[in-house]
Amino acid sequence: MKKILLMCAALLLIITSHSQLWAQERTVTGKVTSADDGTALPGVNVIVKGTNNGTTTSADGTYSISAAGDATLVFSFIGLTTQEVAIANRSTVNVQMGSDVTELTEIVVTAQGIERDQRSLGYAVQSVNGDKLAQRSEPNLLNSLQGKVAGVNILGASGAPGASTNINIRGITSFNGSNQPLIVVDGIIFSNDLNNTQNTLFGSQPSNRLADINPENIESINILKGPAAAVLYGSRASAGAIVITTKSGKNLNNKTEVTVNSSVNFQNVYGLPRYQNQYGQGANNDYVNNSTNSWGPAFGTPGYATVINLQGEEVPYQAYPNNVRDFFDTGRILQNSVNIASGDADKNFALSLGSTLQNGVIPGTKFNRHNVQIGGNTKLNNGLKVGTQISYVNTGQSGTPMGNGGSAFGQLTRIPRSYDLTGRPYTNEQGRSIYFLTTQNHPLWSTENEVLDGQVDRVFGNFSLGYDITDWFSVTYRATADVYSDRRKLTLQIGSARAPLGQLVEDNFFRQELNQDIILTFKKDNLFFENFNANALLGHNLNQRRFQNSSVVGESLTIPQFTNVSNASVFTSSAEESSLRRLVGYYGQVSFDYNNFAFLELSGRVDQSSTLPKANNAYFYPAAAISFVPTDAFNVESNILSYAKVRASIARVGRDADPYLLNTVYVPATYGNNLASITFPMSVGSASIPGFQIGSRIGSNELTPEFVTSYEFGANLGLFQNRFGLDVTYFESKSTNQIFDVAVPNTTGYDTRTTNVGELENKGWEAVLTTSPIKTSAFSWDINLNFTRIRNKVVSIAPGVTQSNIDGDLFIGIAPSIVEGQPYGVIVGTANARNDAGEYLINPTNGLFVPGIAGEVIANPNPDWTAGLTNTFNYKGFSLSVLVDTRQGGDLYSFGAVDLRGNGSLAVTAIDRDQPRILPGVIDNGDGTYRPNNIQISAQSYWAGLGGLASEAAVFDATVYRLRELALNYSLPSGLLSKTPFGSVTFGVSGRNLYFFAPNFIGDPEVNTQGAGNIQGMDLNGAPNTRNYGFNIRFTL
Amino acid sequence: MKRTNIYKYAYYLLIPLLLGVSACEDYLDVNDTPNNPLAVTPPVLLPSALAGTAFANANELNRFAAVTVTHLAGAAGSPAAYDIYNIDGGVFGNQWRFEIYGGALVNYQKLIEDGEERGANAYVGIAKIMKAYTFSIATDVWGDVPYSEALKGTEFLQPRIDSQEDIYKGNSALGIQSLFDLVREGLADLEEASTFTPGSDDLVYEGDIEKWKKAGNTLLLKFAMQISRREPALAASVINEVLAKGPESYIASNTEDLNVRFGASVGSQSPIHTYTNVSSFKDELIVSTRFVDVLESLNDPRLPIFVTKPGADYVTVDNGFRGTLPQPVANWSRYNSYVTGVNGEGPVRLVTNFQRAFILAEAALTLPGVATTQTAQEYYTEAITASMELAGLTSAEITAYLDANPAIATLSGSTEQQLEQIMTQKWIAWFGNGLEAWNDWRRTGYPVLAPSQNAVGIDGTRPVRAQYIEQELSRNPNFPNPGPLSNEKLWWDVD
Repeated sequence: MKKILLMCAALLLIITSHSQLWAQERTVTGKVTSADDGTALPGVNVIVKGTNNGTTTSADGTYSISAAGDATLVFSFIGLTTQEVAIANRSTVNVQMGSDVTELTEIVVTAQGIERDQRSLGYAVQSVNGDKLAQRSEPNLLNSLQGKVAGVNILGASGAPGASTNINIRGITSFNGSNQPLIVVDGIIFSNDLNNTQNTLFGSQPSNRLADINPENIESINILKGPAAAVLYGSRASAGAIVITTKSGKNLNNKTEVTVNSSVNFQNVYGLPRYQNQYGQGANNDYVNNSTNSWGPAFGTPGYATVINLQGEEVPYQAYPNNVRDFFDTGRILQNSVNIASGDADKNFALSLGSTLQNGVIPGTKFNRHNVQIGGNTKLNNGLKVGTQISYVNTGQSGTPMGNGGSAFGQLTRIPRSYDLTGRPYTNEQGRSIYFLTTQNHPLWSTENEVLDGQVDRVFGNFSLGYDITDWFSVTYRATADVYSDRRKLTLQIGSARAPLGQLVEDNFFRQELNQDIILTFKKDNLFFENFNANALLGHNLNQRRFQNSSVVGESLTIPQFTNVSNASVFTSSAEESSLRRLVGYYGQVSFDYNNFAFLELSGRVDQSSTLPKANNAYFYPAAAISFVPTDAFNVESNILSYAKVRASIARVGRDADPYLLNTVYVPATYGNNLASITFPMSVGSASIPGFQIGSRIGSNELTPEFVTSYEFGANLGLFQNRFGLDVTYFESKSTNQIFDVAVPNTTGYDTRTTNVGELENKGWEAVLTTSPIKTSAFSWDINLNFTRIRNKVVSIAPGVTQSNIDGDLFIGIAPSIVEGQPYGVIVGTANARNDAGEYLINPTNGLFVPGIAGEVIANPNPDWTAGLTNTFNYKGFSLSVLVDTRQGGDLYSFGAVDLRGNGSLAVTAIDRDQPRILPGVIDNGDGTYRPNNIQISAQSYWAGLGGLASEAAVFDATVYRLRELALNYSLPSGLLSKTPFGSVTFGVSGRNLYFFAPNFIGDPEVNTQGAGNIQGMDLNGAPNTRNYGFNIRFTL
Repeated sequence: MKRTNIYKYAYYLLIPLLLGVSACEDYLDVNDTPNNPLAVTPPVLLPSALAGTAFANANELNRFAAVTVTHLAGAAGSPAAYDIYNIDGGVFGNQWRFEIYGGALVNYQKLIEDGEERGANAYVGIAKIMKAYTFSIATDVWGDVPYSEALKGTEFLQPRIDSQEDIYKGNSALGIQSLFDLVREGLADLEEASTFTPGSDDLVYEGDIEKWKKAGNTLLLKFAMQISRREPALAASVINEVLAKGPESYIASNTEDLNVRFGASVGSQSPIHTYTNVSSFKDELIVSTRFVDVLESLNDPRLPIFVTKPGADYVTVDNGFRGTLPQPVANWSRYNSYVTGVNGEGPVRLVTNFQRAFILAEAALTLPGVATTQTAQEYYTEAITASMELAGLTSAEITAYLDANPAIATLSGSTEQQLEQIMTQKWIAWFGNGLEAWNDWRRTGYPVLAPSQNAVGIDGTRPVRAQYIEQELSRNPNFPNPGPLSNEKLWWDVD
């Protein structure tokens, strides 16, 4: 269609040009062919340069034109590289035209919103366009970045609606601080905090707050990977920064556009293990009606047609192959958004409305988000530039607690194969659970009666004023605010396993961040000599962060199903936690550019923080970056090497402490855990007795800032007229002087002391390869491959300390840890005992493993490398994008897998169940020699004997290959729409997580029960993942 | 015109900058925590420390010890592991950290340090007595433990391990104060005037200092008896020291027992109550068949008071039993309200009148040189009577029982046989306090406990100590690593 239109346009040109023929003309003829396949190219515009004398090639690719002998012909065609060819007095000029690959001059947004040409940067910044994130069957923006960015590790907690997603850029740089990157949305420092109401071992996976962003409203995301890129943002950007720009009317060339997106997606539970369906509830081939095992008699065993369940009812003894699968619902995600934008670079306006309504696969779970955003910029008559933007978001999330034991997911891995989970009543007249265990609850009862609801109301916005004082000096003032409240309610009805008498928690979070920046910018071209251009920037930042969490905990409920806290008779754990921190920053940057091929950038920032001791509270950190484009510097004219750039940077970023770490404090006293606990004030007799105890952390008034120093070297290459692009980076970072709670022996009376210690190191490679194997006017195929490999190492912790727990909730004997010489986050637990040859030792009396050795590193959750491959095909109006990715290596610690294996639920446990087995290992002969284990044990002993929850046997390789994302869109031809109000109409189908293959794990290893944060690699009876698919339509008016 | 504008706007824009700079001092002065106090008064420290000691005695360590001495049997989970003698360096980490060192002990230490500054001598005295008691739990469970250098924060970041002998006896060369001296110091503090006086915050005696003195002296008797096999002369001299203070100086009535009281509402209840009757782990424990068998064989009237019988008969399992558990669990025999309190009030009984009488009976019987004023038989009768009275039996019922069962009421046979009688009755009386029963069993070997079914452990040995906490070994190189296993006897455990 386009080709026809072009030909028409060219014909018009020919007609109009007849009257303006030049003198001394000669006729030049020739043929235009494709550089790809040599075929003739019809419809190519041929124009004599500097005139409007032109023609087009005919159907066989030939042309004929009159031109002066010293003239130059310009050959152009949409989708192909425009070529200029001097006639040089020839009468025949044949031309081969190659596909046009976008020049690698890409504008990216860097720190403080500075727009820069990619080529001038001495560090890696990767840009992802909004259209790569919208309509991807995924309401969480971070998840839709998965597999698309090099150097970034993104991992979701589970498929529960709104579940948090962890993101780390270029590894872990802080022992205990947040390792999540700084998020900046339209210049607003945007909280991505994760607030937990429950212990993360037993919680319901609340969102991290980036989930408040509507993915449909994103113009672009720029990922500033290293500290060099982010130094102007200050301390918090030492873990990198993600700079999000939402849609504005800036690029509309004064048009008005209304965009409507609408999609419906469905979710199914995906990644459940393969179960056996031959043996039912019980142990040792006996039926036991309150057993979580499926080691009972085989189905069909005479005398076992029916059995008596715990309720005394006679029920069939048969397999319920889908009993776990049927627990889950089909989830549904409805997303609608409207965008109205108008304007140009100086004056623009945008309004955006969005709504996301999700019902998860877990019964009763929800994630609902409503966004409104309005903003605009204008340049007043007096030259003053004014801009503002304000957003309101309401996000509601409903989840159910997870975790070992007393939760729906703590039970789902313990459902016997013969238990009819969904086909029988599960609530009795008193509202209590009916189940095969008396101290636990039916999972469906749990989802209805154990609920965490959250309601986030969030307002964020910015206001800016700018003025160009001279053409080389301008001033900008910007104030931003991000404020939210999250009102949570945890309801554990009477009978809940974790609170048998019932518990209601009103948990309110408030967070506010205010920033004010004044930025002076200077720009001077041809500063000292020709083509030497300089930019400079000076800034001042005031930052304030306020946080408050207050909770009312009511226990011992009286009236069933009445969820007002007035229903509670005991209030003991209610609490308040507030914090206020402030920071004053001064920053500056100068950048020089020579002839657009050599660049130097120097940055620095001084921060003064309220959280450090007054004597040490100011700290300076610098960065330097260079970039050089040899292809331009040396005028390389090559069809092979079209573009080359080398770059290097070095940076050091300081980071302050969290508030209130300087003192040892007293805390309200509590004792115990989920076994038994008390909380002060205690009520004894008629007296209410308050109690405080000394906190477990020793404070320090000698803290100094911690630093991350990083180096980065990289190259960008464009080959074959940039049809093949490669961006490779090697980086190293070293974190020193970590502000860390070092473990101390508990016999000191404490558990940790806060001090500056330790060294943490990251080394890594990241690469992005882009290529377009086929690019014709009708069909194109683009490939984007990214690769990440990061090696992290804890170099040292503290004198005499070689191991320390990561802050957070943990099970005894399964400690996510920092261990000297190991990568960050290894899990310390009980390892099997081995001989020197590494063979397992077997107890000769029973054929089982000898007791394990506690305190050993048994798992490393960090992947060896990750890669993502996106193939995009465009054919006429069709566009197909397919993303596959892989995570190689890394371990997952899984309770679920151990449960299912030990209790005989997995398919593999039914194979030859009646045959004896032998555990792998050797028996000590007592004389330094070993003999192979030959002691036969039952299948039940074997599968249980492989190891329980707190053992090495719970560690699995998390390697996974995944068809992450598939999106097929069709845009109606514009010709069809010309008589309608529509500018464009696109229909699409999309799917996420359509297929995965995990060779060494029974399910989907891409889960982390404890959610976003520094503890990774734990599957502690959390929710599984989902497969999403759906339809969408998008049109503009 | 344009020029003025420029300056005007530039000026306005710079105002916040200037304000920011000049206000910096105050602006950044916001790092005083609003969340936590930096200092507290003795009345809020004492109850939290006392509750820590009660948890140390009655929470997981009691689940372990009560199973180990066959008061209870392990039906599932960790108690089932304890029941076949499986313990390792992974268990009891919470007890070590949250209940003993980081719970009770460090807060007694703060109470002592802070109380001495404030002149709160009553609190200082109580804290020293309870610190000594809580350290005795640590050393009686783990043997050699950090003591003299412990609880000092950054002063000793890797506290030395003191031998159990030094902890009990003191070692002036190493600067180690004996537990006896620590109690004596506490008793002396209780004689002093005090700026703060305890009341309801004293979860044990509600501020009755006289009772605390009796408790302190009785604790001396307990410590003396604990080391009596290893150090009979020292034990006798300490017992004589207390006896010389007269019968008013020690616990001589059940109302003087050192009991930590709990409340009847969720969050205030005794841990024994919570894990026996409330928590999702409650079906991990059941009363041992062996305990019920012994009491039935002795016609002991305390049985229905100690043990529940929801069904027609006692529903128990044998120790180490690995078959199908009895159903329904609602009929299981569990700790009765004698142990748990009707609604979880407890109390947790740490040092008792019957214990004192049993100690004196044993001393009179076995310790040369003690100046006991009554015979072993008299103390023995007093002890059984005290225990039965504590269980709520009337004196008429008690007399009737003793008269009807002379073989139980009367010490007879060899010294060893009489000792067995005393220790068996003491083992019954300690129902609900497994640690003390375990202490006595390890020390004397009585009552004789048959091995559990399916016993594993280390060489099938019933544990005589706990292994050091793995995490602590990794944090403090002063610990021997690997440390002693659960079959290695403690210093005072001579046979």
